[in-house]
Amino acid sequence: MEKKQRGVKILLVDDEEIFLEATARQLGVRGFKVTTADSGEAALLLMHDTPPDVVVLDQQMPGMSGSETFVEMKRINPLVEVIILTGNTSVDNALELLKMGTFDYLMKPINIDDLLYKIEDAYTRKMLNEKQQ
Amino acid sequence: MLKELVALTRKIFSRDQEPDTPELEFAEVERLRLAFKSRYHSFKLLLTANGRVLEAMADMERALQGNESFSMSFVHTGCTSISVNVYRMIADMENIAPGKYSGLRESFLIIQRQIDALLGQKKDKTDKRLVIPLETITSEMTELAGGKMANLGDVKNRLHMNVPSGFVITAAAHDLFMSTDGLQKEVDRIFQVAGSDEDRNLDLVSSQIRQKMMVANIPEPIRLAVEEAYVHMKEQNGGQDVRLAVRSSAHGEDAKNSSFAGQYRSELNVAFPQFFYYYKQVMASKYSAQAITYKLNRGFRDEDIAMCVGVLAMVDAACGGVIYTRNPLDSKDDSIYINSTWGLPKTVVDGNDLCDLFVVQRDNDLTILRRDIRDKGYRFVCGGDEGCMRTEILGGENILPSLTDAQIQQLADLAIQIEQYYEGPQDIEWAIANDGKIYFLQSRPLQQVESVMPSIDFDLQQYDSLLLTEGGTNASPGVTSGIVFKVSKKVDILQFPEGAILVVEQALPTWAPLVARAAALITEQGGFAGHLANVAREFGIPALFGVKGAMTLVNNGDVVTVAADLGRVYRGCIEPLTHWKRPDAKLMLGSPVYETLRTVSRHIIPLHLLDPESRDFTPEKCLTFHDITRFVHEKSVHEMFRFGIDHSFSERSSKQLHYKVPMNWWILNLDDGLINEIKGKYVKLEDIASVPMLAFWDGFAAIPWDGPPMMDSKGMTSIMFRSTMNPDLVPGIRTKYADRNYFMISKDFCTLSSRLGYHFSTMEALVSERSGENYLGFKFKGGAADFERCMGRINFIKEILEKYGFRASVNADNLDARLEGRDMQFMKSRLNILGYLTLHTRQLDMIMGNQPLINYYMAKLTKDIDSLLEKAKRDQ
Repeated sequence: MEKKQRGVKILLVDDEEIFLEATARQLGVRGFKVTTADSGEAALLLMHDTPPDVVVLDQQMPGMSGSETFVEMKRINPLVEVIILTGNTSVDNALELLKMGTFDYLMKPINIDDLLYKIEDAYTRKMLNEKQQ
Repeated sequence: MLKELVALTRKIFSRDQEPDTPELEFAEVERLRLAFKSRYHSFKLLLTANGRVLEAMADMERALQGNESFSMSFVHTGCTSISVNVYRMIADMENIAPGKYSGLRESFLIIQRQIDALLGQKKDKTDKRLVIPLETITSEMTELAGGKMANLGDVKNRLHMNVPSGFVITAAAHDLFMSTDGLQKEVDRIFQVAGSDEDRNLDLVSSQIRQKMMVANIPEPIRLAVEEAYVHMKEQNGGQDVRLAVRSSAHGEDAKNSSFAGQYRSELNVAFPQFFYYYKQVMASKYSAQAITYKLNRGFRDEDIAMCVGVLAMVDAACGGVIYTRNPLDSKDDSIYINSTWGLPKTVVDGNDLCDLFVVQRDNDLTILRRDIRDKGYRFVCGGDEGCMRTEILGGENILPSLTDAQIQQLADLAIQIEQYYEGPQDIEWAIANDGKIYFLQSRPLQQVESVMPSIDFDLQQYDSLLLTEGGTNASPGVTSGIVFKVSKKVDILQFPEGAILVVEQALPTWAPLVARAAALITEQGGFAGHLANVAREFGIPALFGVKGAMTLVNNGDVVTVAADLGRVYRGCIEPLTHWKRPDAKLMLGSPVYETLRTVSRHIIPLHLLDPESRDFTPEKCLTFHDITRFVHEKSVHEMFRFGIDHSFSERSSKQLHYKVPMNWWILNLDDGLINEIKGKYVKLEDIASVPMLAFWDGFAAIPWDGPPMMDSKGMTSIMFRSTMNPDLVPGIRTKYADRNYFMISKDFCTLSSRLGYHFSTMEALVSERSGENYLGFKFKGGAADFERCMGRINFIKEILEKYGFRASVNADNLDARLEGRDMQFMKSRLNILGYLTLHTRQLDMIMGNQPLINYYMAKLTKDIDSLLEKAKRDQ
C-alpha cells in the first residue's frame, strides 16, 4: 500500500471476535487506522463518532444483517465505500448487494492481500468521488 | 471499430503537430486531470474484473473436463464470481462512457435470469405417497422409490421372478422427515459452520448430523403408513410376524457409472418393534463420512439425494452372493461370473472373506467353465432375536462348493434374462432360502473396465528378483507404484497420505473414502465382487485383493509397484510397468453437479462476438457473459483512447517515442505512465514510468534484428502471389489495420497495438506488486505469406510462448496467449520475451515451408530468449 494511503480509516464489522481481532491487527500493522464493531447496530454508532473511509462488513450477523447495516451506512454517509464479506452458503447474495451499491465482496476465509487490494481500490474510489463533488 | 480508431489516432497525431493549444486555466487543468484519473481508475477496476471473469471461466472449463471432483459450492462460487465481476465491468464501463452502452444491462439481466433459473431448479414432487408396496413399483418410479427398489420392482413385477415381499418408504417421506422440526435447516447449519469442502472435519460433521437425525421424531403420517404396510405383509405371511431387511435406496444409488456401492447402511433381520430405530439409522447413513466423501467426489448435490428406504421380508439364506452377467474386467468376455458363499450374501458384498467363484459359458448348455472353491471360514446367518451372527463354518463344509451345478445353471439362466431385460450387463445380488427357492435382492448396471496389459510380449522375468508376492485377485486393473500406508483403524484414515498405496486386511466399504486419495489398493481378503472392488473400478484405481499376508509383507514407507492385472506386487518402482495405466476416470461426467455446471456454463463460456468490426458487435447481441466481457473490454480500450481526443488536453494527447531518433511508435499516457508531464510532441525512454512498457521495450531493443530471414524460392513466390491478390498487403494502400504502433500506458499498465511488416499484434499487460491481479495478454494475426505459412509462424510462436509458461490457443489464424497471477519479476521477464518476439518473428512466415530453417530459427530464438532471461536474473 502506498505511503499516501496510510492512515486510511477502516471500520471492521463482524460478530466473530477472533476474526475481528486478527484482521484488525493485520490491517493495523500495515498503517491503517482500524476501529471494530461486533454488530450492525454498534457499527452505525461508530459511523457518527469516527467516520470511516472504507467499511468491511460481514453479511451474516445476529441482529441487523450486513445488507440492512449497509443501507443505513449509506444513508448516514453516501460516500463511504463498503466491502461485504460472505460465507460459502450466502455467496449467491453478493450480486444483489453489489446492485445495492456495495463496492465489492470477499468470501471467507479471506486472503489478507485480496482484502488490502480491495480496500486500496475502494479508498481510491472514495477519494475520487469526494474530489469530484 | 478499428477504422474509427485509425481516424481517431490521426486526429490525435495531427493535433500534436499543430502549434501549441491555448493554455488552460489551472482549475480546468485540475478538473481534467481528475476526470482522466477517475476514468482511468474505473478502467483499471474493469480490467481487474475482466481478469477475474477469465480466471473463473478457465476454472469452469477445467472442471468441465470431468477429471476433478467439485461440489455445488464450487458451481455457486464460480457463477457468483463471474456474475459479480461482469456486473462490475458494466458499471465501470458506465463510468468511462456514461449512457453509451445502455443495452448491456438488459443483456446482463437476461443471461443472469437464465442462470438463476438453472441453479434454482427444483424437482417435480407432486406424488406425495409416503409408502408404496413393492408389488406396484416399476423402474419408472426412481424419483419416488430410489434406483435400487425401482429396479427390484421390475424384477418382481415385469420379469415375475422371486423377490421377497415388501414396500418402499418414499422420497416424499424423506422430505417430510427432514422438514419436520427444522431438521434439514439444522443439517445445513452444521455444514455451513464446518466451512468449505476442503476444510471441514468430516467425521465431526458426520457424527453431529447423524446424532440429530437419530434423536428426531418420526412424523406421525410416516409412522401410520409404515404400520399399515407392515400389517399387510403380516397378513400375506399368514398372520405371522415378519423379520425385515431395511435397505437404503437413495437417489443416484445403483445408477449407471455411480453405484454408491456399500456407501449407505442396510440392516438385516429387524423385528418390527425396533423398525423405526433402524429406519433412522439407514436415513442417517446418507451423512456417513464415507457417503459425504463419495458424493463430493462423484458430483452429487446433497439436496438432490432423498434417502428412500426399501423394506423386504428377510430371507434366511442357505447360500447367497453376487452374479456378474459379464466379466467386469474384460468386456470381450461374456461369461457369467457367480460369486457365492454359505449363509447370507453379506460376506460377498462386504468383501470380508473368501467366496466361491463359478464361471458359466453363455451357450445352450450353460457349460460351467470354472469352479474356484475357496476355504470359506465364516458365514452370516439370521440371529434368533434379531440381527445377524457371524459363525464359523465347521466340519469340512467350509471347503465344499456352496452351489450345486443345477443351481449354478439356474442362476445363470435367470441372470441372462435379467440382463436381456435391462439391455446391459448387470450386477445382481441373490440368495437361496433353506427351501431351495431363489430370491433376487438387487440388480444394478455392471461397470466394466478393460485390462491394461499390452498385447505385445513383454519380458516380465527380468523383474522376478523384485517380486514380493503373486496370486492376488485382480479387483480393478492397472499398474502403479507408490509408498505403502497400512490402515487398520478408522483413525488411520486421517493420516493417509495422498497418492499412497492403501494396504488393509479386509476389503470393507469403510475404506471407500480413501479410494479417491489412494494410488492403489491391496487387501488380504475380499474378492472382485465386493463393494470396495466396485468403488476402486469406478475411480480407476488398481486393486489387488486376496493377497495373503499383505499386512506383514510390507511396511509403511516401502515403495512398491502394484500390478493388479498380473496379480503381483513388486519391491520398488518398476517404471516400465507403470506405463500400463488406465485412462483417468472421468468421475464427474454425467453427475447432477456436473450437469448443472454444464448447462449453466452454456450461458457463460461460449463466445459469439468474435469480430469487433462486425455489425453484430453490439450489447444486444451479447448472449453469454463471455460476450459481455469481450464487448466491454474492447469498447473500454476504445473509450480510453477516445477520451483524450474529446477533451483538448495536451497532457493526455499522444506523443512520439524518441529513442535515438523519432520512431514510428506513439504513446498515450492514461494516468501516471510518464515520470513528469511532457508538453512537447516527443517522449524519451527515460521519461517513461510504465513498468510493463519498459519491460517490453527492453526485450524489443535487446538484440538487433538480423534483417529478413534467408528465404527459399517457394516462400518468396508465396508472398509475391499473395501481394497481388490481397490489397491489405500492398504497402501504400490504407488497410483496416492501424498503420502506426501505439502504446497506451500508466505506471502499471500498458497496451500496444503494433503492425510490423504484414502482421498485426496486440499486447496488454497489468504488472504491479499485486501479483494476483497481474496479467499479460498477447494476440497475433496475419502475415504476407500464404495461409499455411502464416499458420506455421503462428504455431511456431505458440510453441515458444507455451515453453515459457503462456497459455496459448489458435483460432483460425489468430493466436491468443495469456499469462496471469505471477509476481512482477516474472511478468517483466515475459514482457521481455514478447518484446523480443515482436521484432524477431518479422517475416518468419516466409521460411515456414523449410524445416531445417524452422529448426535453425527455433534454436536461435530460444537461445536468445534464454540469454535475455539470464540477463534479467542477473540484473535483479
